[in-house]
Amino acid sequence: MSQNAVNRGTARLSLARFGELGLLAVLVALFLVFTFSSKYFFTPKNLSNVLGQISLTMVSAVGLSLLVISGEVDISIGSLQAVVALPLVLVMNATGSFWLGVLPALAVGVLIGIINGLLVTRLKINSLIVTLGMYYLLRGFVYLVTGKVPISDQSGKDLFFMVGNGKLFRFLPYMALLMIVIVVVFMYVLRHTTYGRRLYAVGGSPEVARAVGINPERLKLSAFILCSLLSTVSAILLASRLSSANHMAGQGFEFQVVAAIVLGGVSLAGGVGNLLGALIGVLILGLIQNGLSLMNVGTQYQLVITGAIIILAVAVDELKKRHG
Amino acid sequence: MNENDVILEVRKINKEFPGVKALNGVDLILRRGEVQALVGENGAGKSTLIKILAGVYRKDAGEILFEGTPLELHSAHDSLQRGIKVVFQELALVPQLSVAENVFLESFPLKRGGAIDWRAMNGKTQEILSSINLDLNPSRKVSSLTISQQQMVEIARALSHEAKVVIMDEPTSALTPNEVRSLFEVIRRLKALGIGILYVTHKLEEVFELCDRVTVFRDGQLVSSRAVPETNTNEVVTDMVGRAITTLFPRTHSVRGEPVLTVRGLSTDKKLKGVSFEVHAGEVVGIFGLLGAGRTELARAIFGLDPAIAGELELRGRKLRLGSTSHSAHAGLGLLTEDRKGEGLVLQMSVAQNMTLPSVREFARFGLIRAKEENSRSQEYVQRLAIKTPSLRHKVEYLSGGNQQKVLLARWLMKKLEVIILDEPTRGIDVGAKAEIHKLIDELAMAGLAVMVLTSEMPELLGVSDRILVMSGGRITGEFGREEATQEKILAAAIA
Repeated sequence: MSQNAVNRGTARLSLARFGELGLLAVLVALFLVFTFSSKYFFTPKNLSNVLGQISLTMVSAVGLSLLVISGEVDISIGSLQAVVALPLVLVMNATGSFWLGVLPALAVGVLIGIINGLLVTRLKINSLIVTLGMYYLLRGFVYLVTGKVPISDQSGKDLFFMVGNGKLFRFLPYMALLMIVIVVVFMYVLRHTTYGRRLYAVGGSPEVARAVGINPERLKLSAFILCSLLSTVSAILLASRLSSANHMAGQGFEFQVVAAIVLGGVSLAGGVGNLLGALIGVLILGLIQNGLSLMNVGTQYQLVITGAIIILAVAVDELKKRHG
Repeated sequence: MNENDVILEVRKINKEFPGVKALNGVDLILRRGEVQALVGENGAGKSTLIKILAGVYRKDAGEILFEGTPLELHSAHDSLQRGIKVVFQELALVPQLSVAENVFLESFPLKRGGAIDWRAMNGKTQEILSSINLDLNPSRKVSSLTISQQQMVEIARALSHEAKVVIMDEPTSALTPNEVRSLFEVIRRLKALGIGILYVTHKLEEVFELCDRVTVFRDGQLVSSRAVPETNTNEVVTDMVGRAITTLFPRTHSVRGEPVLTVRGLSTDKKLKGVSFEVHAGEVVGIFGLLGAGRTELARAIFGLDPAIAGELELRGRKLRLGSTSHSAHAGLGLLTEDRKGEGLVLQMSVAQNMTLPSVREFARFGLIRAKEENSRSQEYVQRLAIKTPSLRHKVEYLSGGNQQKVLLARWLMKKLEVIILDEPTRGIDVGAKAEIHKLIDELAMAGLAVMVLTSEMPELLGVSDRILVMSGGRITGEFGREEATQEKILAAAIA
C-alpha cells in the first residue's frame, strides 16, 4: 500500500469527490459557453477581475468549510466583514499605518468568532440561530456607528491599496496569490494533520468524537475562530477594493459563500467535504455571475439561474448517493 | 413433511456489494410452524439475506417463492403486505405513538368517512396481544416500554398483517434472562399458529433450546442445514468457522503488578453510589452485574463520558480529572463503549481512519500524520482480528455489523494505554473472532496493562478474569478471585 493511501482513500471514496468530476465538467462547460457568447469574457482584463472576485469569496469559504465540516455553520460572516473594516480604517486613518489597522481588525474578527463559538458550544444553541442573531446585530451596529455613511480611507497608504487592487504582471491579483496560499495550507491541514482528522470526526459524529477522547466543544470553538479570522482577511481585501469601511460591505456575502461550498460538496450535516470541491463551487458561482453580467442578463434572471443551479447540483449529488 | 408445508423458498440468490460477494447461490427452505436458526460468523451473509427478504436490499439474481409463487420485493412495505415481517435489532417503531397505533401503523382501521376507528384499533390490538399471552395496554406510549415489550409490539404488528413468516435478527441481544424466556414463549405461540420463523442468532444455546432446524452460513454461502435433534454444538461451530475451535479463554498465568487505576468513592447522580476498587498492572478484572446494576455507568464515569458527582480517580498515583474524555484518553485510559451505534463509528470515514481515531497522535509529528505508519499499524489489526474489508480505505459504513465491531475493538487495542476498559467486548462477534479477542485480552494483561472487562456472559467472565467484581444497585456487592469464583456465588452477589 502506498504512502498516503489512507488519506487519499477518503478523498477518493467521499461522495463529494465523485460529485467533483461532475462539477468540474460544469465549470468547463460554463467557461466555454461564456467564451463563445461574450467577446468580453475571455480577455485578460475580465479574467483577472473574476479571479479577484473569486479570491475574496474563497478566502472566506476556506474558513466556513472548516466550520461546516466540524458540523456548525456561520452566517454572520458578511456582517462581520462590515464590522472589522471599521477598526481597520479608523486606526489606519489615525496612525497612518496599514499593519496597525490590520491588528485590531483581526482582533475584532477573532472576538466575534469566540463569541459565536462560545454561545454555540457552551449554551448548546444551534449555530444557525446564534449567527443569524449575530448577522443582524453586527449589521445594525455598523449602521449605528457609521450613520450609514462610508468611512473612506484617508491614510493614502499604498500598501493598503495594493493588497486588494495590485496585480502581478498586471494580471494575477495579489489577492489570488494569497488565496492560493491559504487554500493549499488548509487543504494540507484537512488531509494530513490530526487537527483535520479530528474536524471530520467531530462533524461526522460528536458523540463518537467524545468517546474517543476528543473534546468536540473545543474543536468547534477553534473552527469558529478560524472561520471568523479568514473572513476578516477577506474583509480587509474587500475594504482595500472599496478603499473604505462601507456599511453595506458584505451584504449577502454569507449566502454566496454557503451556496458555493454546498455546491462544492461540503455537507451542511457535517463531516463531509473538502476544499477542492469548495474551490470549484466558488469558481462556478463566480463565473456564472460574471458571465451573465457580461451577456447583459438582468439581475432578476441571474438570481433565478444561480438559485436553480444550486438546487440542481445538490439534488444530483443526493440522487447519486442514493444509487451508490 | 408435506410439500405444502413449505412456505418460503429461496433459490440461487446472489447479492454483491462493492468488493464483496455477500450472497452466493443461496438456497433455503422454510416450512410452516418451523423455527429455523440462521447462524454464521459476521459477514457470512445472514443479515444480507434477511434484508433481501425484508425488501431493504434487492437481490442481484435468483428467486424467492412465497407459498409457491414467485415474489418480487421492492420495499419493506411490499414484504409486509405479502406476509413477511422482519423484526430488526433497531426496532422500527414510532416512540411517540401508542402500542395500538404502532401495531396498525400501515393501515389504521377507519370508520366510514375516513376517521380512525380508535375503538376497533385498540380492541383488535388487545386481541392480538392476548393471542400471544401478552399483558400490555394498547393505549400506552411505545416510548414508555422496555426494549423487550417493544419487540412484542413489532411481533403484534406482524400478526396484524397476518404475517406467515416472521424473521428475527438477534432478538435477545438486549434482553434480560427473564425477558428472553417470555420471548421464547411468544415464539412458540407463533409456531403453534403455523407461522414460519427465521431466527438469526449468535448464541448457540438458543438454537438448541428453541429451534427446529439450524442453517449455517459462511462467506456468503449456505454450508449446512440440519435438523436440530440430529446435530450438536461442535458440528455447528465447525461449520461456522470451517475449522474446529479448540482454545476458548486462554488465560495464561499473569503476574499482578502495582496498582494502576485507583477508584475511590465514585458516585454519579443517577446510579453509582460510592464505588471503590483498584486494578493492578497485568490484571484482568471482570465486572459483572445484571441489567441496571451500574456496570456501564461505572465504565463511563471512569472514562469521563458521564459526569461524576463525587469520588476520586488515580492513575499510577496521579490524580485524574473527572468528566473529561480527552484528559482520560491523554492520560492513557481507553473505553470500548457499550453503545456501538451512537458512540461507535464515524460512518463517513474509512476503516483505517476509524481505527486510529484515538491513537492518531501516536503516528503524528507536530500534528502531521505519518500515513505509512498509520497504514501498517491498521493493517496489522485488520489481520489479527480478521476484519473482512476490501481495503483500509474502504468506508466503514459498508462493512458488516460484526466487522464494524472489530474495527471498534481494534481502535483501543492499537492505542498505547495504561488502562483499558472493555464493555461487552465480544457482543455481536462471531465464535472465531471471540477466541482471538480473548487471546488479545490475555496479551494486553501480559503486556502490563490494567484491564477491565464488563460482560454479561458468565463463561466469558469466568474465563478471562483474574478477579471478579460484582455490582448491584450501583455498588460493588461481591469480589472473587479466579479460583474461588463460581456462577452461583456471582449470581448471589448480583441479586444482593
